[in-house]
Amino acid sequence: MHAEANRQTVELRIRRQDRPNAAPYWQSFVLEARAGANVVSLLMDLREHCVTKDGERVDPVAFEHNCMEEVCGACAMLINGLPRPACSALIAELEAPIRLEPLPKFPVVRDLMVDRARMFEHLKQVKAWVRIDGAWDNHERAPRISPQDWAANYLYSRCMSCGCCMAACPQVGSDQAFVGPAPLAQVRLMNAHPTGRYDKTERLHAIMAEGGLSDCGNAQNCVRVCPKAIPLTTAIGELGRQTTLQALKDLFGND
Amino acid sequence: MSASARQVIVIGGGLGGLWATLALAEAGHRVMLFSLFEVMRSHSACAQGGINAVLDMKGQHDSVQQHIVDTIKGGSYLANQPPIQSMCEDAPGLIRTFERMGVTFSRTPEGLLDQRLFGGVKHKRTCFAGASTGQQLLYGVDQQVRRLETEGKVEKQEWWEFLSIVKDVDGVCRGIVAMDLRSLEVRAFRADAVVLASGGLGQIYAPKTTCSTNSTGAAASRVYQQGARFANAEFFQFHPTAMLGEDKTRLMTEAARGEGGRVWVPKDPGDRREPLRIPESERFYFLEDWYPSYGNTVPRDIAARAIWKVTRELGLGVGGADAGESRDRVYLDLTHLDRNFVSTRLGAILSIYRKFAGQDPLETPMEIFPAAHYAMGGLWVDYEKDPTRGGMKAGSPRNHATNIPGLYACGECDYAYHGANRLGANSLLSASYSGRVAGEAVASYLSGLEQGAEAAPAALFETESRRQADLNQQFSRPRGDQNPFRLHRELGALMTTQVGVVRDNAELDAALSSLRELEQRFERLDLSESSRWANQSLAHARQVFDMVKLAQVMAASARARDECRGAHFKPAFDLAIPQGKFPGDPEFEAYRERWKANNADWLKTTVAEYHPDGPRIAFEPVDLGLLAPEQPRDYR
Amino acid sequence: MSASIQHPHFLLRRLHSLLGLVPVGAFLVFHLWENSQSRFGATHYNQEVVGALQGLNYLLLLEVFVIALPLLFHAGYGLLIIRTGRAEPLRYGYVRNGLYWLQRVSGVALILFLLLHVGLTRIAGLFDPAISADLFGYMQQALAQPPVFALYLVGVLLAVFHLANGLATAAIVWGLTSSAEAQRRFGWVCAGLGLLLAALGVHGLLGFLIAPTAGGVA
Ligand SMILES: Cc1cc2nc3c(=O)[nH]c(=O)nc-3n(C[C@H](O)[C@H](O)[C@H](O)COP(=O)(O)OP(=O)(O)OC[C@H]3O[C@@H](n4cnc5c(N)ncnc54)[C@H](O)[C@@H]3O)c2cc1C
Ligand code: HEM
Ligand code: HEM
Ligand code: SF4
Ligand code: F3S
Ligand code: FES
Repeated sequence: MHAEANRQTVELRIRRQDRPNAAPYWQSFVLEARAGANVVSLLMDLREHCVTKDGERVDPVAFEHNCMEEVCGACAMLINGLPRPACSALIAELEAPIRLEPLPKFPVVRDLMVDRARMFEHLKQVKAWVRIDGAWDNHERAPRISPQDWAANYLYSRCMSCGCCMAACPQVGSDQAFVGPAPLAQVRLMNAHPTGRYDKTERLHAIMAEGGLSDCGNAQNCVRVCPKAIPLTTAIGELGRQTTLQALKDLFGND
Repeated sequence: MSASARQVIVIGGGLGGLWATLALAEAGHRVMLFSLFEVMRSHSACAQGGINAVLDMKGQHDSVQQHIVDTIKGGSYLANQPPIQSMCEDAPGLIRTFERMGVTFSRTPEGLLDQRLFGGVKHKRTCFAGASTGQQLLYGVDQQVRRLETEGKVEKQEWWEFLSIVKDVDGVCRGIVAMDLRSLEVRAFRADAVVLASGGLGQIYAPKTTCSTNSTGAAASRVYQQGARFANAEFFQFHPTAMLGEDKTRLMTEAARGEGGRVWVPKDPGDRREPLRIPESERFYFLEDWYPSYGNTVPRDIAARAIWKVTRELGLGVGGADAGESRDRVYLDLTHLDRNFVSTRLGAILSIYRKFAGQDPLETPMEIFPAAHYAMGGLWVDYEKDPTRGGMKAGSPRNHATNIPGLYACGECDYAYHGANRLGANSLLSASYSGRVAGEAVASYLSGLEQGAEAAPAALFETESRRQADLNQQFSRPRGDQNPFRLHRELGALMTTQVGVVRDNAELDAALSSLRELEQRFERLDLSESSRWANQSLAHARQVFDMVKLAQVMAASARARDECRGAHFKPAFDLAIPQGKFPGDPEFEAYRERWKANNADWLKTTVAEYHPDGPRIAFEPVDLGLLAPEQPRDYR
Repeated sequence: MSASIQHPHFLLRRLHSLLGLVPVGAFLVFHLWENSQSRFGATHYNQEVVGALQGLNYLLLLEVFVIALPLLFHAGYGLLIIRTGRAEPLRYGYVRNGLYWLQRVSGVALILFLLLHVGLTRIAGLFDPAISADLFGYMQQALAQPPVFALYLVGVLLAVFHLANGLATAAIVWGLTSSAEAQRRFGWVCAGLGLLLAALGVHGLLGFLIAPTAGGVA
């Protein structure tokens, strides 16, 4: 693997936007891509020398990144039209010119940066936590959880709130109340926890309200684009069952 | 909220900062939590392998005492022992608390907490959640803090960058100045106490680091430049097993070796065969060869240097000495292990390797090399020793206090627990534990505080925020041809070659002068960006400047320490263990004496203080009350 | 605590789903079966099948409460649901996303079809008793015109698709199928059911054209 041998140039077409309410515009850049380069590494190179294809010097492109290994969720954007983390989008596997756009469904801050605050508000709305008495040791041994249950739960605990699933979901929109697939999956996770389930009813009621589970239209794009392969639609099915039972309880009384 | 509730600022929402936030909010104080971005994207999310705590789940008679000894020895006795003792004692309780928060720790077939082996120890002591432990732990506390947010006890200031603390005439910290990373507004915030939990500084070695791009150390550097002491800066850990990349070197967790992964190179450096076609007899398992007792799970400093030696000195890297880039690689092999087992326990790193290297570690050995990973050094913090129990005194306001009253530090940005080398899976522990301790200490500090920040004159805050706004102006004005991103790259290259795995005084001197020159080049800075909205170049330029300042501390501290200890390795001062000799052999005993004599000179904490001309280095003694340095580290 | 029943959102959405399945879906199945009797000629169709139905007591009540109102609610609420989504069938070319889009398209198309269809049959029948008296002849005449036949063909296929796909999604909504595997499996069951219904429907359409105008079984 000699770096020199694999050098090639690629064209990036980037949808830019200077401010939240400014008009978007497109710019093209031609860059040299090293072997193994990914979209984030190209954007990092671009910061040093931000000159368009036509030779115009422009402000560096704003974008987000942290971990560079697909675990922090910061760098999600539309790459050739599909939402995905930019750090794991290898140039060699993308069709050129590569089109980069900010992640849809979220307000643009600048260029490829968006404001995903809504996702975190939604996590609050569905009470995606286990309510503990306090963060101290109460000397009680961890409850038993079968390896099978663990394996199922673990899948959901890897959600990095990147927002790709939200971007791809036709039911999520900046003018819509729908909390979206990722927070729903967290409800599934918390409801399965040995003590998290004490608040199951409350969480279910939260997702039975406006903007909750019912707003999912089963398009299932979410599960297709999730970079962490989180079984979102399984969660949605399981929550369907939980809410059905919950509604029966609500209608006919508990026991 | 009680009448005695006070306002605290926590900077950083990694494990350290979130735990401090939890402890403070539970003590009834109002917390304002600052972070460069949504806290759940903090670097802690990258930690893969696990977190240490003695639960003795594996019938190995593990004990807290052994955890303490391993940690002390792993750090070459350089860490103060009372904090280590308390941390190890509290570790099991911390795991139980994480577990209650809903962290998905991996389970045994019986449904109990599973534990695995990590480097530098002989017991399975590491709790883990697949290979994404840091992510799971971080989310666990993040969820709790989000709950407290809905209860109005915590207010998050995400997308705000900490720039400096505000001190009153008595030198007491009364608040901070921060910048909104979107509007670039610079504003002062009052606080009765400030906790800094800004994480590591691996970006000083970029791109050859496993750290997130925000692990710059800039925040720690800023308080250092305002008078906080910085300790043991020369101790920086290079992780032996990272996959090379031009933008970042991605970690392949130590758990890969803990679970049975083997490190090797072809005996014949010119061997061009596919690795799996090379027969056992033609492979050199150098770690197992050189350290038969610990084998592949020797501590990181030792493994990193062994790989260094094999590739750089013996020319045995994959493909041989003339293989260009790849001469710097050795194999980390998982292919002999059960595929199912590996997939469930290491799935996260398998997918990283597949995605970024395009190869499947289940099919072919991974190619790895050491990369900058973790800062043992950090802001100097105090502790109060418990005279009866020996550990840290619980709830003492001195614990995790920096030398600036009212300013506390915890997490990777402090120096407290790891001495000269950190054991794997001990830093998720120290980050969480120190966060909680710092929170409790601040609560005690506040209860003894007569006057809060409300009494501090407004002029203090105005002056400091004006100073910071002026600095922004200064950085923004084009003054030459120096690009901040290029300066960062040069810093990384310089530090990697001259303040890296192996050190030499002449090179360190050269590094120091290069760093001074690098600092001066900021006089000719040109951001080449004029936007007044979300200007990332400005924020980055300021960070790089402060990183250069911190790099000077690292180089100067390394220059000052003429010995080999843990991660700090100067071959000119190596007291090599006599080969084939063990305790009792006269040669070994003679070595032990030399080792002790060296300890008499060098077993002390390096403490740097800021001075405009360059760091002032001093030393202070280490508390060795629990385990006297009688046993040299020996992992053979 | 009983937020779910105080909050109409969830109940309305489930009602929409339920009504789509039970009265409306069931009616469609029955209706397609009914019309497939065309194959056996005018007499059989007019007298044994339609006649029997027309002879039912409280027929109007049944028609209003079991067919018209549920359908109106399902269609009306369906329109509201459609307004909350923005399908991108081209950007995300996954099968399920295509079905999501088609479910909405077919819903809207069905409204148009039903306006025409019900207007020309049941409503027209109210004004012109001759129509109700010989529905077979009336339909036969209409379907003999290729555009009408095409309209009906499309209408039947869309309705069947809408029901079959609706059954698959309803299974997720109600929590019958959760794992991806179960959803896929049930998807195939629904597809099979859809094919069967489509065959039944097309068979019925053709029946009007090939069956004898009068008389008994062919
Ligand atoms: C790849 C990798 C793998 C690792 N694996 C393990 C492991 O398996 N086991 C283990 O024990 N340890 C591991 N570690 C080490 C461990 O992850 C870290 O030491 C630990 O997570 C540090 O936590 P922290 O809270 O101190 O900082 P971080 O998680 O880095 O958080 C820093 C916070 O500070 C904020 N911040 C920084 N600067 C500013 C500023 N100027 N203004 C405002 N906010 C600021 C950031 O926004 C962030 O929220 C690993 C490290 C790496 C690099
Ligand atoms: C095979 C094709 C079809 C034929 C031949 C057909 C025929 C008829 C006829 C003859 C009537 C009049 C019944 C009466 O006046 O009593 C009718 C009514 C009706 N049809 Fe169809 N139909 C077909 C397909 C459909 C489809 C696809 C739908 C969609 C759901 C549909 C929905 C209705 C409805 C709602 C009524 C009114 C029912 C009532 O109130 O009695 N039909 N159809
Ligand atoms: C022939 C008559 C119809 C039948 C048998 C029918 C049946 C169904 C069924 C069974 C569902 C599945 C419900 C679920 O997923 O929970 C459904 C969904 C739907 N129907 Fe209908 N329907 C009919 C007519 C209409 C009409 C006229 C509209 C008007 C637009 C419509 C709009 C919808 C929509 C939008 C959905 C999807 C709801 C969602 O997935 O969120 N339907 N239908
Ligand atoms: S579910 Fe997947 S796509 Fe959605 S936010 Fe989480 S990780 Fe991202
Ligand atoms: S894409 Fe959206 S509609 Fe439902 S199945 Fe996924 S949340
Ligand atoms: S940078 Fe963290 S997911 Fe891409």
